[in-house]
Amino acid sequence: MDLEFSEEQEAIRDMTRALLEEHSSVEIVRQMEDDPKGYPDALWKQMAESGLVGALVPESYGGGGLTLLDAALIYEEIGRAMAPVPHFVSGVISAGLLLEAGSEAQKDEWLPKIASGDAILTPAWLEPERGYGEEGVQATATADGGEVVLSGTKLHVNYAGAADRLIVLARGDAGVDLFLVDPSSSGVTLTHYLSQSAEPHYKVELDGVRVPADARIGGAGTGWASYGTVLHQGIILLAAQAIGGAARCLEETVDYANTRVQFDKPLGAFQALAHYMADASTRIDGGRVLVHEAAWNAAQGRSIARFAPMAKLFCCTAYQETTRACAQIWGGVAFTIEYDTQMFFRRAKELQLSWWDVPYLEELVAKDVLDG
Amino acid sequence: MDFDLSPEEQKFSDEVEQWLVEHHDPVVMDHHRENFSQLSDTPERRAFMKKLADKGWLGMSWPKEYGGQEIEGVYEFILNEALSKHAAPQIGKGVGIIGKTLIRHGSDKLKQEFLPKILTADVEFAVGYSEPQAGSDAANMQLKAEKVEGGWKLNGQKMWTTSAHFADWYWVGARTDPDKKKHDGLSLFLIPMDHPGLEVQSLPTIGKDTTNQVFFEDVFVPDDYLVGERGRGFHMISEALDLERFTMFTLSPITNRTDLLVDWVKQAKRDGKPLKDDPQTRKTIANIATDTAVAKALSTRFICAAMKGGKPPTIQSSQYKLFTTTLSQRVCDEALDISSAAGTIREGQELAPLLGRFEGAYRATMNETVGGGASEIQKNIIARRHLGLPKNF
Ligand SMILES: Cc1cc2nc3c(=O)[nH]c(=O)nc-3n(C[C@H](O)[C@H](O)[C@H](O)COP(=O)(O)OP(=O)(O)OC[C@H]3O[C@@H](n4cnc5c(N)ncnc54)[C@H](O)[C@@H]3O)c2cc1C
Repeated sequence: MDLEFSEEQEAIRDMTRALLEEHSSVEIVRQMEDDPKGYPDALWKQMAESGLVGALVPESYGGGGLTLLDAALIYEEIGRAMAPVPHFVSGVISAGLLLEAGSEAQKDEWLPKIASGDAILTPAWLEPERGYGEEGVQATATADGGEVVLSGTKLHVNYAGAADRLIVLARGDAGVDLFLVDPSSSGVTLTHYLSQSAEPHYKVELDGVRVPADARIGGAGTGWASYGTVLHQGIILLAAQAIGGAARCLEETVDYANTRVQFDKPLGAFQALAHYMADASTRIDGGRVLVHEAAWNAAQGRSIARFAPMAKLFCCTAYQETTRACAQIWGGVAFTIEYDTQMFFRRAKELQLSWWDVPYLEELVAKDVLDG
Repeated sequence: MDFDLSPEEQKFSDEVEQWLVEHHDPVVMDHHRENFSQLSDTPERRAFMKKLADKGWLGMSWPKEYGGQEIEGVYEFILNEALSKHAAPQIGKGVGIIGKTLIRHGSDKLKQEFLPKILTADVEFAVGYSEPQAGSDAANMQLKAEKVEGGWKLNGQKMWTTSAHFADWYWVGARTDPDKKKHDGLSLFLIPMDHPGLEVQSLPTIGKDTTNQVFFEDVFVPDDYLVGERGRGFHMISEALDLERFTMFTLSPITNRTDLLVDWVKQAKRDGKPLKDDPQTRKTIANIATDTAVAKALSTRFICAAMKGGKPPTIQSSQYKLFTTTLSQRVCDEALDISSAAGTIREGQELAPLLGRFEGAYRATMNETVGGGASEIQKNIIARRHLGLPKNF
């Protein structure tokens, strides 16, 4: 047993942290809030040039060919910096779907561009008044000659305003399929709306959108299985992101608790507050090891059916609870826009609600533990 | 990064596992004792400890010159986890606290007298730190040790001395230097448990075991039986805790209980329907299983820190103990909630689900968040030493 990272891994972490400190400062993060595009070109370009955007894309497609464990380090830094980038939707989920199920032609066309940051892809998955499960996908995919006609409404499509392709989940005769769709196609309407984290969200309306049959990723009816496989990998990274955000929020809170004085004492000398922070640190440090264990298992080619949902469930809840406790420690200023605590506070809740929420993750764990 | 045991460690773990299966003894390995098998003073338990000694599994991490194997502490961790997984008695305070302190600070006489007996499991100890006025604040011990001709005269009272009713020797902290600062006025003594002037009074608990109060009336201890240097008692006590990190609080009983609950839920029925299909139960199980994985992660974290050597992994062990003991109680609580009214049936009766394992465990685990450094004390340590917050008590 050994929890140390290799020198190369430490170097990836240091490089990512330094890059994000410079190009994803709080000022920059604040500027991007509610922006319909949602990410600064300079940051995206820097991340692409340093290999972070294509980290998970194999070297043969121009990426870094890193493991999920390496990527977990990057994601902890993304969480710390609250970096506003379409990395997860493009470099993790879309790249993952293409790798998992894409044809050679699809991979050749898109993976190098994803890795270089020149193209952004994003999944169009969830639908109004529907849940996270397979039955939640009710948009239709109807074969018509050599084409497929897509109709339906998608919500929570991140960074769609900047996307070169959407990966639309829609229901065909054989079940859920995945389709590459150009968002500028006729019949596609994108509408930006505001989200709790202030990351860009879009409603995507598909009204008889025609795509060629070879726009489908993978065999007929295999879309949901591919999506599940890739999302299991992805949520380990979101758990890492949650740990990064929680850790930084706690660090800043500890600094404040050491300096702000009430009743002639620094706040941190009040045991009620010190114990909130001790509890938070325990959950963060434990959650971090769970993330590493999940990512390590993935990198070893072992099953992550149990570890992945556990990691997201635990770490996102730890993030949410940490930001709640931190806000309490900051007192009234936490409620103001001016202070940064609220930025973590909003992001933590959104991350917990997104990409499989608490009840869905609990059911994934329960299924693996009880029904196996 | 590697979450697996090394091949040598795995080999040892497999060997212990196989040995425990082969030497299964339902009297000694009683899961209903909830991690306290080492406290049951039966001939079977003593015989079992002799067998562990014969295997060379007592004192593995001790220096060779004292009969040890100078093996890394992780092997004792593996052994203790395996023992507690099988509900067998663990290797205990003789090999740990007392042996290791004597090796570092004891006189040749004390080493010769005690170390061989510890390795052969021929001596049982009781540890007496706590007193009515010295609980979490262990340095506040008031048991009076007065210098007399040739030794010391002890008067006062100890609280919570587990095993005092069957131990052979008493490892006791007492105040030899009342004029010095609280932490510098204590010394450690070894006293035969049957010494005249020692009176052991049982304190029954809601767990399976009794603990004790011990009263001292003019108990004479010869100079030779003051351990190490006079006035260094508290420092040796703290150091022994650090040396004992590998075996401090085992995880296996908790993972066992989580597994047991899962297996039970899988086949139990309520109103004719499988309990495992109940949404509330599924939610509970998912969270307990997840938190059990986190407890394991925190255990791995502190064992890895301990294996690195150097500074004792105080923070890691505090986080581990805080999280794990809280979870341990929660598992029992949730198990009783899942059992519903049947959870009220007292342990040991056929009518109870799982023979009342969780009713018993609910009681037995009550003290886990208090003994061995209460949760609040762990949080104080984490707040100050890990986060760098001001002293808050
Ligand atoms: C079954 C059993 C077996 C035991 N076996 C032994 C044994 O063999 N040998 C031995 O020496 N001792 C033994 N103990 C004693 C055990 O170590 C003490 O119970 C423990 O140290 C707590 O002390 P206390 O019970 O006096 O509680 P107290 O110290 O009075 O604590 C009461 C409460 O106050 C809190 N508290 C105390 N100080 C602080 C602080 N600074 N900040 C915040 N909260 C605080 C505690 O966390 C706790 O919640 C045993 C106890 C039991 C119940």
